Amino acid sequence: MSDGGPALYVYGVVRAPDAPQLDSLGVGDRGARLSDVVHGGVAAIVSEVDEGPLAAARDLRAHWRVLEDVAKRTTVVPVRFGTVMAGREELVQEFLAPQADSLAALLGELDGRVQLSIKAFYDEERLLGEVVSGSPAVAQLREKVKGMPEAAGYYERIRLGELVSGEVERCRERDTAAVLARLEPLAVAAKNEDPGTADTAVNATFLVEEERVAEFSKAVGQLTEELGERLRMRYLGPMPPYSFADADMAAGSGSWA
Amino acid sequence: MAVDTQGQSNYLARPQPSGLAEVIDIILDKGLVIDIYVRVSLVGIELLTIDARIVIASVDTYLRFAEAVNRLDLEAKSSSKGLPEMVDDMTSGAAKSKTKGALEGVKEKLTGGDDDDDHDDEDVKQKQKQPRSRSKSSSSGSRSRSRKDDDE
Repeated sequence: MSDGGPALYVYGVVRAPDAPQLDSLGVGDRGARLSDVVHGGVAAIVSEVDEGPLAAARDLRAHWRVLEDVAKRTTVVPVRFGTVMAGREELVQEFLAPQADSLAALLGELDGRVQLSIKAFYDEERLLGEVVSGSPAVAQLREKVKGMPEAAGYYERIRLGELVSGEVERCRERDTAAVLARLEPLAVAAKNEDPGTADTAVNATFLVEEERVAEFSKAVGQLTEELGERLRMRYLGPMPPYSFADADMAAGSGSWA
Repeated sequence: MAVDTQGQSNYLARPQPSGLAEVIDIILDKGLVIDIYVRVSLVGIELLTIDARIVIASVDTYLRFAEAVNRLDLEAKSSSKGLPEMVDDMTSGAAKSKTKGALEGVKEKLTGGDDDDDHDDEDVKQKQKQPRSRSKSSSSGSRSRSRKDDDE
């Protein structure tokens, strides 16, 4: 099945003429040298990888840094962490050749655009205070549970937690909608990501034209002023377009699972 | 004298280069997926990503503690007027090396070690190049930020 050559770890895909010379080191315990495999108009950024298992944080860090490095120089389609092809031939035959057109189209879509991320977090105490004062049902049940011995109030406490959880979810939806309403019009595309942690209010990623980043940042600044008292905002980027490296970005592209 | 520099700087929001911990879900879960039938399926990749989440998250937790401790330091500093600055430097230096040590312990244990020393130096240099024209409180902010970057 393999052509006998070493397996290749794949970081991302760029246009063939733009494939950069990279000094950063790839995955593996010694940090492999990076190279590229060209086919048609596209090139995959790769490094040779042993059979041995990848190591959690070290290789994730390497993956991250390589893509940051590539994205500084040219447009890149990031490939999912942990992708390894059996060899050079497989990489070309199974991936680059069949996908060359859609990869080129996707690169076109991503040209001159960067990913920015907005995360906002609640102060838990404050949020719960808001929930209690904003929901008579929660306030009522809270009073009731308070007066009960722990064992007797078991189901009431579960019910209370469930109510609170629902209210928190509503807060999250409301805050996310507010942020998206303001920022989505300034972006090419926006995605609402999984909240991740319980105190996350908003977790959204945006694909933004480089020329519009200043305008976008101004809107983020305004939002931060307005919401800053309730939410701790984090504005991250620019980063390679991880969240937008998929088939729906490029119209009419072939499908990949 | 409370000058509202906070509001001003917020208004001119700038995206911050992030530490790995802040974008770990993006790095782990996003990116182009190559068909499972044509790529090599790595043994233990699922476990690996769980590991990575835990390791990076615990590093993040340490950094939060480090920042919190750093803030305490500063409060102590402002209330203990007249102490020679050298003492502060020594204190923060010690705190820093302690944090570093803990972090490296985690890295060594779970990832096999010094993967990013030269990169860290770059980060630090970049930080130092930034103009240090702002007030005392803002320079403390950038100090805690650069410490955070130290390990991400």
